[in-house]
Amino acid sequence: MENLLNFDTGLMILTWITFLIVLVILGTKAWKPMIKALEDRENFIRESLEEAEAARKEADKVAGEYEAMVAKARQEAQGIVAAGKETAERMKTEILNEAKDKSAGILKQAEVQITAERDKAIAEIRIQIVDISMAAAEKIIVKSLSREDNERLIEDALKDYGQN
Amino acid sequence: MAQGGHEPSTNIGDKIIAHVANSDVMIHFELFGVDLSITKHVIMLWIAASLIIVVGLYASRRYRKEVRPVPSGFTNAFEFVVDFVRTGIIIPSIGKNHAMKWGPLVMSFFFLILTMNFLGLFPIFSYINHGHGGTTATGNFNMTAALALITFFAIIIAGILEHGFFKHWKNMVPGNVPKAVLIILIPMEIMSMFVRPFALTMRLAANMTAGHIAMLAIFAPIFILHNAYVGVASVAMNVGLTFLEIIVSIVQAYVFTLLSAVFIGQSIHPHH
Repeated sequence: MENLLNFDTGLMILTWITFLIVLVILGTKAWKPMIKALEDRENFIRESLEEAEAARKEADKVAGEYEAMVAKARQEAQGIVAAGKETAERMKTEILNEAKDKSAGILKQAEVQITAERDKAIAEIRIQIVDISMAAAEKIIVKSLSREDNERLIEDALKDYGQN
Repeated sequence: MAQGGHEPSTNIGDKIIAHVANSDVMIHFELFGVDLSITKHVIMLWIAASLIIVVGLYASRRYRKEVRPVPSGFTNAFEFVVDFVRTGIIIPSIGKNHAMKWGPLVMSFFFLILTMNFLGLFPIFSYINHGHGGTTATGNFNMTAALALITFFAIIIAGILEHGFFKHWKNMVPGNVPKAVLIILIPMEIMSMFVRPFALTMRLAANMTAGHIAMLAIFAPIFILHNAYVGVASVAMNVGLTFLEIIVSIVQAYVFTLLSAVFIGQSIHPHH
């Protein structure tokens, strides 16, 4: 009846044996695999979260780079278009100027040529008129006038003609 | 309320003690001069151990087969408790790096003590050995002393495994204290080394016994006063007390396990 506080070596030894059996069986078959699985799961979740975070950052970075690239490409395209426009404008101006110069040159040359032709024609006509006049005058008044008088008369006549 | 022991006693106090005490020897067994007789507490210990082994093996079957098991149902519930011990006791007290080494011991403490505490709440054990008291195995000081001695040796082994034999004993006293203080400190540390398992022993056994004594004391007026109406009040109070006992069973299993883990952790990580 007073065995509430009795010293019981047998119970202690049996407790140790039983505890050892529980520790060995469950330690190897239950606790260790479960602790390992829980640790693995924790690591897996942490790694997954970290990977997801890294992937998100990478995606953000790539998206940023892509946007920058698009912006750069757009700027470049705008530059190309602007340069093209400028070149075209410059070429237009050049061509126009050249054409203007060329036409001006042609006109001037034509003018010079026309003037020269006209002068030549006038000179020729003048010579022929002199000759014709001389011949006619010779026939009309062969003896009345000396050659010098004739020539002076014709010259006067031609002067009047030239002035008209 | 059957009478215990050999000679019937009319003293209510004797009856209460008889109910919380271990039974007399049921099967006598002796080995190398040591009395290893089977008593009620041994049977309760074995029932608890068998139960926890069967349940533990069943609940952990997927963890042995699968690489990354996803538990469900009962396995999930069991894993919840295992993870509670792991994250609530083992990791904060001993550390993650030592969880695989000392985790099994701490887990075994918790589950075995918890199962024995709960078994004591079932009044069916009154019927073993001719109705001798519905007691709790962990209410026996010999049982808790045996468990606390395991803690005692685990503390020493953990320290020696981590720091070596001499370093472990040196670790017990802080390094940077005056020599005069050591004269007081060394006996104190040696005392604390023995007081710790003693406190573990007493705390668990006393708590598990106290509940039963309180319940029996509440039932006692029925038999003293021979009044049926007192029984209504007694039963009502004991229903409440049973709920309290459920909490005490969990708390005491937790406290024993936590303190054991803390002591082992202190031995592995000395504070200086």
